[in-house]
Amino acid sequence: MTDATTTEPTGGHSRDLSGARDMIVCENVSKWYGDFQALDEVSATIKEQEVVVVLGPSGSGKSTWIRCINRLEIHQEGRIVVDDVELTNDLRNIEQVRSEVGMVFQQFNLFPHLKVIDNVSLAPIWVRKKPRSEAEEQAMALLERVGIPEQAQKYPGQLSGGQQQRVAIARALAMEPKIMLFDEVTSALDPEMVKEVLDIMKALALSGMTMMVVTHEMGFAKEVADRIMFMEEGQIVEEGTPTHFFENPTEDRTKLFLSQIL
Amino acid sequence: MAGFGSGSEIASVAATATVPITAPPETPKLPPGEWVKANLFSSPFNSVLTVISTASLGFIAWFFLSFIFHPIRQWNAPATNLRLMMTRAYPEEQYLRVWACVAIILVLTGMSMAVWRAGSTMPVAGLGRKLLTTGALLVLLTLLAPFSTGATVQWLAAALVVVAIGESLRRIADRGEAERTVSTLTLQVVALAGVVTSLWVIPFGHHSYIPTRIPQVMEEPGTVALSTKLPWTIMLAIVVAAYFGGALLRDRLAKNTLRVTLVLLWLLAPPVLVYLILRDPDFDMGHVIGTDIPIFLAYAVLGSALLLWLTRPSTGEIGRIVAAMVLVAGFATFLSPMRMVLRLDMLLLAAFALAAPTFAGGSRSRNRYTGAWLLALGVMSWLITSVNTASTVKVPGGFFIGGIAITFMVAIFTIVLSVPLGIALALARTSTMPIFRLLATWFIEFVRGIPLITILIFFSIMVPLFLPRGMHLSEVAAVVIGYTLFSAAYMAENIRGGLQSVTRGQHEAAEAVGMTTAQKTVFIVLPQALRVAIPPLVGHCIGVFKETSLLAIIGVFDLLYIARIVIPGQTEFMGSARESILFIVPIYWIFCYTISKASQRIEQRTGLGER
Amino acid sequence: MTAPTTRERVSQRVPLWRDVIVLKWVTQVFLLVMVLGAMFFLASQAGDNLRARNISTEFDFLHEPVMIQISEGIDTHPDTGARALWSAMVNTLRISGAGIIFATVLGVVVGLARLSDNWLVRRIGTMWVEFFRNVPLLVQMIFMFSFLTTLPRVGLDSGPINGWLHISNKGISMPRVFMADGFYQWAVVVLIGAVAAHYVRRRRQRIQDETGANTSPILWALGTVALFGLVGLFVHPAFSWLGSVFGAIAELFDSLPTAAPQVLFSAAAIGVATTWIRRFLSARRSAIGHLLLSDDDWFRMIFAALTSLVVVLLVVRWSGLSAWTLDSSRDLFEVLEAKFEVDGAARPFDAMRPDIVQKNRFPNYGTNGLTMSIGFASVFFAVLFYTSAFIGENVRGGILAVPKGQTEAAKAVGLKRGQVLRHVVLPQAIRVIMPPTGNQYLNLLKNTSLAIAVGYSDIVQVGTTVFNQTGMTLPVVSIWMLFYLSCSLTISVVVNWFNVRMRLVER
Repeated sequence: MTDATTTEPTGGHSRDLSGARDMIVCENVSKWYGDFQALDEVSATIKEQEVVVVLGPSGSGKSTWIRCINRLEIHQEGRIVVDDVELTNDLRNIEQVRSEVGMVFQQFNLFPHLKVIDNVSLAPIWVRKKPRSEAEEQAMALLERVGIPEQAQKYPGQLSGGQQQRVAIARALAMEPKIMLFDEVTSALDPEMVKEVLDIMKALALSGMTMMVVTHEMGFAKEVADRIMFMEEGQIVEEGTPTHFFENPTEDRTKLFLSQIL
Repeated sequence: MAGFGSGSEIASVAATATVPITAPPETPKLPPGEWVKANLFSSPFNSVLTVISTASLGFIAWFFLSFIFHPIRQWNAPATNLRLMMTRAYPEEQYLRVWACVAIILVLTGMSMAVWRAGSTMPVAGLGRKLLTTGALLVLLTLLAPFSTGATVQWLAAALVVVAIGESLRRIADRGEAERTVSTLTLQVVALAGVVTSLWVIPFGHHSYIPTRIPQVMEEPGTVALSTKLPWTIMLAIVVAAYFGGALLRDRLAKNTLRVTLVLLWLLAPPVLVYLILRDPDFDMGHVIGTDIPIFLAYAVLGSALLLWLTRPSTGEIGRIVAAMVLVAGFATFLSPMRMVLRLDMLLLAAFALAAPTFAGGSRSRNRYTGAWLLALGVMSWLITSVNTASTVKVPGGFFIGGIAITFMVAIFTIVLSVPLGIALALARTSTMPIFRLLATWFIEFVRGIPLITILIFFSIMVPLFLPRGMHLSEVAAVVIGYTLFSAAYMAENIRGGLQSVTRGQHEAAEAVGMTTAQKTVFIVLPQALRVAIPPLVGHCIGVFKETSLLAIIGVFDLLYIARIVIPGQTEFMGSARESILFIVPIYWIFCYTISKASQRIEQRTGLGER
Repeated sequence: MTAPTTRERVSQRVPLWRDVIVLKWVTQVFLLVMVLGAMFFLASQAGDNLRARNISTEFDFLHEPVMIQISEGIDTHPDTGARALWSAMVNTLRISGAGIIFATVLGVVVGLARLSDNWLVRRIGTMWVEFFRNVPLLVQMIFMFSFLTTLPRVGLDSGPINGWLHISNKGISMPRVFMADGFYQWAVVVLIGAVAAHYVRRRRQRIQDETGANTSPILWALGTVALFGLVGLFVHPAFSWLGSVFGAIAELFDSLPTAAPQVLFSAAAIGVATTWIRRFLSARRSAIGHLLLSDDDWFRMIFAALTSLVVVLLVVRWSGLSAWTLDSSRDLFEVLEAKFEVDGAARPFDAMRPDIVQKNRFPNYGTNGLTMSIGFASVFFAVLFYTSAFIGENVRGGILAVPKGQTEAAKAVGLKRGQVLRHVVLPQAIRVIMPPTGNQYLNLLKNTSLAIAVGYSDIVQVGTTVFNQTGMTLPVVSIWMLFYLSCSLTISVVVNWFNVRMRLVER
């Protein structure tokens, strides 16, 4: 957002990000649910302005991983450092990371008792401590950006799925995050609404936002991603540029996955 | 179990007497003959059922009517003691206070009805049909009742009038093409106006009980005493005026501001009303100026400064530590002897301090939060000062007030106090903190496992023992504390149901935008949970109202106690308990039935039940 | 956060007052201390006040003579406080049990009436529910009572059928069948019959499963019990030897030292706790042997250990508890011994007709008949009607919750209306009906405590009399609470068991 003007809107994976700062650093992150190991020593580094798409079969740990990054889930071993802040039990760090990392969910999770405009402006008012008028102005601007300013006074229940998901994106952006996490945001949508959401995500990627996207939309991955990671059984099996990933995958499991999905 | 059958019949008679058959038949278009066949005689089994139930209903109605109109009944017992049943021994010259309270409640009611758009419309034809049915029922009951010929003629004439009105309404409605409707609110006002007019017109007779040295009953012919018919007329005018005032405001002001203001006024009403009725404090100005005002000012200044600092977004964790220390200090005040005001003010400040980080923000929200603190402190100081001051209202008898007034007072205070406690318990029981969860679960399950009466007995006897020496609490207050704890446990379970209906996704979404647990609870979880919990909560509130009757067992002069013990104890009305109890049954019934129907309507209108 | 690598780095960096785990536990401990402090404060106040007023809080009164007359029940002139409370408990249980059974039946009737095809019946159902739900139970009860007092006085030739059925303002009296001396021996025969019936049922069921023929296993099982019951009427004296067995057990209990139950209880508490912790730990151990315990897991284990320690401490510190256990077990077996050592010719059952006696000025019912006093009747009918209205609504809601397609499908295969209700709708509806109805059973139990208002001697009424006479408020109140809590718990357990069974059937 603030970076939007300063960044060259170069398309997808042709960017050179080698000089960029590390935004998210994961070192040997592991997590168990009882017997089941959801994450198995996941290590990865995501640069500023990078768009990473995480692919993998369901239950492969990709959602768990990005939910660990804003501490909706707590990792049990390893380190996660977001924008130079390590995720620990430190109250201040958790608050800081949460307000710097925006998240959009599969099920939208809009607040049904609040109007669209209040959904977007609630967190800036109470978490960022902005005056109400300023927060509402910003919320209107964001709603315009996602293309639904006319729905501001409605309740989420009155909107279509695609519109709800766009409001959810606006709500996350209202906190002016440095990183956006997308957790299968198009899976719960009717096919004709997928595009309107993906378009907004593309625009967001072009504006220079650091993004981690868990998705099954291969077209989006090819077009927008700087890097693709393939996860299975809690491990990152393969990672690389979209070209590399889709055209010459090295691992057998990736090939199998691609053959099933394409 | 020989009494089984007869007992059940007795009970359903009262139902016949009080429930007008109102719902129109499901297929109103059928001609009467076919309707009867389809609904009453569709099969041999159904025919037998119809015959049996008609016979038993008729028998029960006859039985009850002959019970009610038997010459042995002393119906002048409840009639003479109406005032006793309403307010017990409240001094007559102070009655203006009572009327003022009724007026305040009616103003709030009228405005709320306008603001929340109460009422609906019903077709005139349906109204006509209802009146027809009511008239027919009245004819039947009149014929069953053991009336003299004159009375029978009078009642039949009244029934025929009802039938005639119903029929003409039906005809009027059928004439036009479009369906004519009428607002239920209009109907209610018309009905109330009819009742009020009847006070002026019909010679009910003037009964009153004169408590002189030798108490005597005065019975004059004529209409009811001036003391009630004029006030009730004014009250009706007030409620209508309040409705239109509310309607005006509704169109002028923002909807939410108005609603929040009204809710606050409703919450504030109980203490203010009790105060209005019970106390006319004779302030000792020296003490007020010398002690109370300085304490208030000190807390106002220091507290405001503290809160202004705490609500600064940059204060951070130190603020929480300071707030926790204020709380510790608040509890520590109980260890050393000092004025109760100081302790209570300290605890109030601690509560505000703990909540401060949640409401932190720009200068406007900081000022608003500090304003809320000053308001709360002011109200509390005023209440404490005036409660501690002697009153010029002197009421004879151990209790200051009784009858239906105390029934309502206990019910309202219990409900108002148990809501926050219930919310706290529900939050604790669903919290992620195991000790909170354990304590709340134990408390809730313990209280829900034992009967209310044991709690009331325990509190009425034991609370005086738990108090430090020199501190006194009236029995009613002790009982309200126990009742509140009881009610809160049940409310907590209702609210917990609501909390569980809030999905995990809502919690995660709130956390993901960086809200603290307190903010998440206040802004996201509770509003949704309470909305779901409202229908069971209303049911619970009706229960609380009904069970105030248990106060009679521990000797509080509530409506039931007066009807059962006090009136039959008067020498003039020895053994008139049956009449008085039969008299209070419809009073309870009307309140409970109205509230439950109203809540069902609201539930249907907002579609709450369909979640 | 338990992995050593992370924890070392983390613990150096997070200040205590910002560590969420620390904050979480500090808050909780703070609250716990506050609650305990408030309780301690109140208790010490109460203790001071009680001492100042010379009120004792011991349970001695249970063994001291009291002057209480109980309106009805197993012992109307109890000699000790304990006996009085026991008799009152039986009264409460009697009225609750009868209430639960009849309220269920009546509730089902009301619920079905509200769904009837017949307009009049439907209206009566609605009126029934709306009336009884919306009038306070206590008002109904008192009304019922004052109404029943209008019944005629009892006379020496009271009707309606003198010697068989008496109805008066003293209540209703009718013939009764009761357990006579031989009953316990007979009960043993029936018990053996029940075990046999279990095997018979299994066998018949197996035959049915294998051959497909209808072998009506339930009927066979019932028949077996009936057969044993019948035979038992003649052979029951054969079991009188059980009396000496029970006597021997009683002597064994008498000879045990007080330390025995102490050791037993302590070992049981520690054993349960250690087993639980071991199981808990193995459940938390992941497949490759990682043991990751969150702070809550630690709390659970510490809590389990502490609970067992508290039990041990109580048992050791309060040796009276062990002595009481021994004594009451011995008493129980002595009673059983007495029950079995009866004359071999004693009958298991006996019957009596109601009688009317005149001791002083006024005639009254004798002890022979099954008498329902008007106190009992008003409590019983009031809770019955009140609860039936609520259960009726549950039944109606449950039946309406069964999808319409089910009824249509059942009708389509040719079932009649009654059959549809019995075989298709009710089995499904009962899963919706049972949980709220279980709550109504609990409410009914608690509501019988209002009996104090009409002078029926239930536990609350007798308890009030006891503490008014002795001043032992706290002990009596704690007995009340213990009694109601254990009854509530029993009902919940039974209802839950039923619910779980129902759910299993569904699968």
